[in-house]
Amino acid sequence: MANGTWKIARRGNTQLPLVIVVALAVVLVLLGKAQSDLFDRARTAIIDKMQPLLVAVHAPVSQFDRWLGSANEIFTVYQENLRLKDENARLRQWRNVAVVMQDRVKRYQSLLHAVPDPDIHSVLSQVIGRANRPFLQTMILDAGGTNNVKPGEAVVDARGMIGRIYLTGARTSWVILLTDLNSRIPVTIAPGNHQAIMVGDNTEMPTLDTMSQTVTLHAGDQVVSSGDGGLLPPGLPIGTVVGQAGQYRVALLADGASAQDVEILAFRRPPEELPADVQNQLPAVAAGLKPAAPPLPAPADAPVLPAQAAAAHGTSTKPAAPKVTKPAPDVTAAAQQAAPGTSETPADGADQDR
Amino acid sequence: MKLSDRTGILMGWRFLSALIPFLCGFLAVFLSNLPLSLTNGLVPAPLLALVPIYFWTLVRPDLMTPAAVFGIGLFQDIMGGGPPGVWTLSFVVTYAVIERQREAFAGLSGLGAVLGFATAALIASACAYATVALYYWHAPPIAPIVAELVVTVLFYIPGVYVVGVVHRRLVGPLRSDF
Repeated sequence: MANGTWKIARRGNTQLPLVIVVALAVVLVLLGKAQSDLFDRARTAIIDKMQPLLVAVHAPVSQFDRWLGSANEIFTVYQENLRLKDENARLRQWRNVAVVMQDRVKRYQSLLHAVPDPDIHSVLSQVIGRANRPFLQTMILDAGGTNNVKPGEAVVDARGMIGRIYLTGARTSWVILLTDLNSRIPVTIAPGNHQAIMVGDNTEMPTLDTMSQTVTLHAGDQVVSSGDGGLLPPGLPIGTVVGQAGQYRVALLADGASAQDVEILAFRRPPEELPADVQNQLPAVAAGLKPAAPPLPAPADAPVLPAQAAAAHGTSTKPAAPKVTKPAPDVTAAAQQAAPGTSETPADGADQDR
Repeated sequence: MKLSDRTGILMGWRFLSALIPFLCGFLAVFLSNLPLSLTNGLVPAPLLALVPIYFWTLVRPDLMTPAAVFGIGLFQDIMGGGPPGVWTLSFVVTYAVIERQREAFAGLSGLGAVLGFATAALIASACAYATVALYYWHAPPIAPIVAELVVTVLFYIPGVYVVGVVHRRLVGPLRSDF
């Protein structure tokens, strides 16, 4: 009797709070869409506070993980050993090739006076947590704002890129994995230097998007970061192309699920500075094109245009003939490089070096 | 002991007992969102917070209010990452459905009770999926949310046992007048 009375009374009272709470939840979603900083700050503050606990708990958990993994590998240890020996022999050969190529690249760079790549500072960090949620795949690192880690920086391990930082607390930072739904990375695919966007979709292999329809890729093509946008350094190894179900996907080199020690790359592209000569030149000349030929002097019997007549009568202070400026030597050299064989000027300094 | 003192103590206990379901929800969110995995990320973490919400909405709805569900969902959003507000909305919508169909859900037992919880988890997952699809304006892959749904239902049996013990040992004695 009492219960029945209570139920009826309660049902009438809860309808209004329920409607209000549902409305609040919808507002929260919209607010989160517009301004997710509030949630991010709260999240990083909580994880920062939990950092010592996570570090303490992580060691036994990862040990248990390893033990669990090795329990399965006991039965395949002999085959695995043979495979690793074979792979090691092949990698030694590749190492020799890489050393030779490195020397050759250095020689070419010195011949071409190539500008060296900017130094990339990195912060070593340990993975102290992982979250594998339906709409978020992330890992938590034990380095944060106090280590000068900033959002957007690339996270790599020995094999390749894993993801990039998207939240930083004082002592921790969150990594958005390349496989995550929110991950979008500009990439270059070699050979051919095709540009694409690698889009994560919470599966193991992200897709390749925004690519020209005429481009044909092949399984095994190398995918590296393109560096577009200036946040990530160009040339970071990411993975290889795999064709799957009518679309191109990327088999990642690094495994975010097993990485333990990672590097956070603090890459900042130096601002581009225009050469001093370019400031005073016409846009076409600055772009390395030949200046337009000056107009030929008009013949004596040619009809006089009204503007020329006005100039002849002294109504204009400007000279009638355009002033021709000789292009600077370095710009001429650039024009030569852009269109070899189209100019008859002598070789520039770079050619003399050769 | 004066009557006013006894009334004060009684009110204190009642307040504490009213907080226990809410705190259990918080603890469940905290545990399921610890960024640690014993299976190397192979098995997704369950939505443990749904267990106390489902249990107390059926057993003692006066202890699991819409505001409490909103708070638990908000904590899940903060701890879990992902698009903000998704789990808050999902939990509140699930609560609304359970609360309206309380008689039907409360009458289930045995395997039926597990299926009842599976229905609630399905509503929460579907709501979260739809919200995320609208949020990003494209459908995310369905496999991860299905995996989480399955793991959540599997964790219901031990979860509801623990919540039942908490209810009998802590909530019941503190509110013995009901």
